[in-house]
Order: sequence, then structure tokens, then C-alpha cells
Amino acid sequence: MFTLENFLFLLQGVPNTLAISFLSFALGFALGIPTAIVKQFSPYGLGHVADAYISVMRGIPVLVIMLLFHFGMAGIIPVFKSAFLSATFALGLRSGAFQSQIFRGAINSVGRQQMMAATSLGMNRWQAFRYVILPQAFIVALPGLGSEIALLIKDSSYAFVLGVLELTKYSDIVRKATRSFLYPYLIAAILYILITFPVANYLDRLGSRLKTKYGLR
Amino acid sequence: MTFLGLAGGFVLGILSALGDVYGTKLMKVIIAGYVEFFRGSPLIVQLLFFYFSIPALTGLNWDAFTAGAVTLMLNSGAYQKGYFKGAIEAVFKDQLMAAKSLGMTFRQTLRHVVLPQALRIVIPPWTNEYISLGLSTSALIVLGIRELTNISKSIAAQTFRPLEVYLFASAIYFIWITVSMKVFDWIYERVRIPGLEVNI
Repeated sequence: MFTLENFLFLLQGVPNTLAISFLSFALGFALGIPTAIVKQFSPYGLGHVADAYISVMRGIPVLVIMLLFHFGMAGIIPVFKSAFLSATFALGLRSGAFQSQIFRGAINSVGRQQMMAATSLGMNRWQAFRYVILPQAFIVALPGLGSEIALLIKDSSYAFVLGVLELTKYSDIVRKATRSFLYPYLIAAILYILITFPVANYLDRLGSRLKTKYGLR
Repeated sequence: MTFLGLAGGFVLGILSALGDVYGTKLMKVIIAGYVEFFRGSPLIVQLLFFYFSIPALTGLNWDAFTAGAVTLMLNSGAYQKGYFKGAIEAVFKDQLMAAKSLGMTFRQTLRHVVLPQALRIVIPPWTNEYISLGLSTSALIVLGIRELTNISKSIAAQTFRPLEVYLFASAIYFIWITVSMKVFDWIYERVRIPGLEVNI
């Protein structure tokens, strides 16, 4: 039987799911902005490095990256002995590649004219980028970042395969312990929807509100 | 698995996109619920749900492979619906009216005016869905299906060489995805109608 106690037990998985998602989002953010800038301006021909990073991360399942980190590289890099950290780093690395794409799209949408206008006012290229382009690009990027967080929350369930105690793992435990086959997964699915929907929706609306406020298209 | 999921998802995606754009209110609500469930929850949870919960609920007995294929189809259909909807809406309303004024029925309009354009527009976003579905077949490991990730896991366990095995598996995925991206780009260029670019 599936009882209230089971439900409360299931809820214990939520903090880890959130922790994996938001830590990997932060890591992806920290990687994504520099990657986008490098790809955009390609200093010292580093654009190819960014290209390679993005296409590798696009071409390999995040689960395989997790397995590679946790089982393949734990001996070389001690951090990966922890399943939790392996999952977080794998998701964060991939998210960095995805977020760099989001930022690059946003940077391009701001347009070259503003760069020219800013440089004609005596700003150098970096200043123009930092004070004119980036603040606007960030607003344009908000909806994209919202769906990226939603994707990370859902994909944090891959950590289940490494045995991390997150929502999916807990629902599996409940299923095995109670022999109740229907509710654990159904409730886990609903919980995921309840977590992802507000986050993505909020950033989406914040994005369009700020766009209107600052008169961006 | 990828191809099964894509094919099933293709049909479901087109149907639910058509239903969402041209259908009744009730149809729209049902489709929105379907899409929200499959896009809002993780594929792994859906796989576990379909493999363990559906048999318990309906008495239907299916093996891991069927359950996995059905889940992938439903999941992919929910994502593809969004792409098809965008593409169908990119074909302007004026064209529908123009077709009507030429005496075409709704079915004829769909068949000869809307779909030929929409199916071309949809290729680039559809390629992304192909990639993401191809990569998420690795989630089938939770049902114990013998796909690339699962096989590499058992080889890694047998040989005690996880680093090499997983790097090799990564390379296989990477080559597969890169090659198929090139193929879809080529198809897109081949069927493109010059001068008819629509940005979604």
C-alpha cells in the first residue's frame, strides 16, 4: 500500500534532485558565458576549442559522461569517487555547452549596430560588450535559461543510475519496499512537473517583462 | 530503438500538432495534458512508470523492450508536437484562405499546401529531436535493455577497464550523432525551396 508515510519518504529525494540541478546549472553558467564569448570573438584562435567542446557535449549522452567520470576517472580525479559530484559535474559540463549556445544566440540578437554605436562613443570593444551588449543579452537569454534549468532538473534523474539518492531513486526504493507499482513513479513524475514548471515559467515571464521594460525586441 | 521512437513520435507529433492548431477545445486540453506530462517529467521516470506501473494497472504484460519503445514514442511525440506546431503555424493563414478560395477542401489544403511547407521547415528542429532522442536511449539502461550504454557498462565490469570502455562508447555515440547531423543538413539543402526560408 502507498501511504502518507511513503509519500513523505519520497519527498526526501527532492533536496538532492534540486541540489544536483542547481549546482550543475551554476557550473554550466560559469562555463557557458566564457565559452560563448570565446566562440563569438575567438581570441587567439580559441574558437575551435569552444566548437569542439560544444560538439562533443552535444554528441555524447550525459549518462555516459557520468559513468565515465564515476567509474572511469575516479582513480585519476578523486572528486569523482562521489557519485553525487560525478553526476553534478557531468550535467554541469554539458549545461555549459548548452548555455553557451543560449548566450551566443542572445548576444547575436542584440546586434552589431549597438557594438558600433558604443565604440563610436569611445568605448573599447570589451567595455561595449560588458556594459552594452551583455546586460541586454542576459535578458534575452532568460527564457532559454529557464528551459535549461527544467532540462537539468529532469536529467538529474540520470544520477539514479549511479545510485545517487535523488527523487527517482527514492521512488524506486518505495516501489520495491511497498510493492505498490502505480503510485511511486506517478507521484515522482508529478513532483518533477511541479518543480520544473514554475521555474521555467517564471524565467520566461521575467524575460518578457524585462524586455518590455527596457524596450528590447 | 531510436528509429522506432522517432517514427512513432513522428506520427503522434504531427497528429497532435494538427489537433492543437485546428482542433476543438477539448482536443486542445487533452493534447496539452499529454505534452505537459511527457515534457515535464524525466524520461527515466516515464520508463519506470510504463514498465512497472502500467502492467499493474491494466494487467497488460509486456517486456522491457516493448515498454521502452512505447515510452520513447509517446515521449518523442510530445516533443515533436511542439516543432510541428511551430512549422504549421509558420505557414501563413493567408495561404489557407487562398487555398479555400481556390475551392480546395480542408484535407486537400493540408495535404498540398500546409504539409509540404511545414515538413521542410521542421527539418532543423527535428534534427535536434533526433539527436536528443538518440542520446536519451541511454536511459533504457534502467529497464535492463541491451543498448550501447548498458553493454559498455557490463564490458567495463568484466574487463576492469571502465575508462577505455566508456571513452570508446562516447566515441561511438559522437560519430553516430555527427554523421547523422551531416545527413540531415544534406537532406535539408536538397529539399529546400529557394526563396522560401521561414524563421521560426
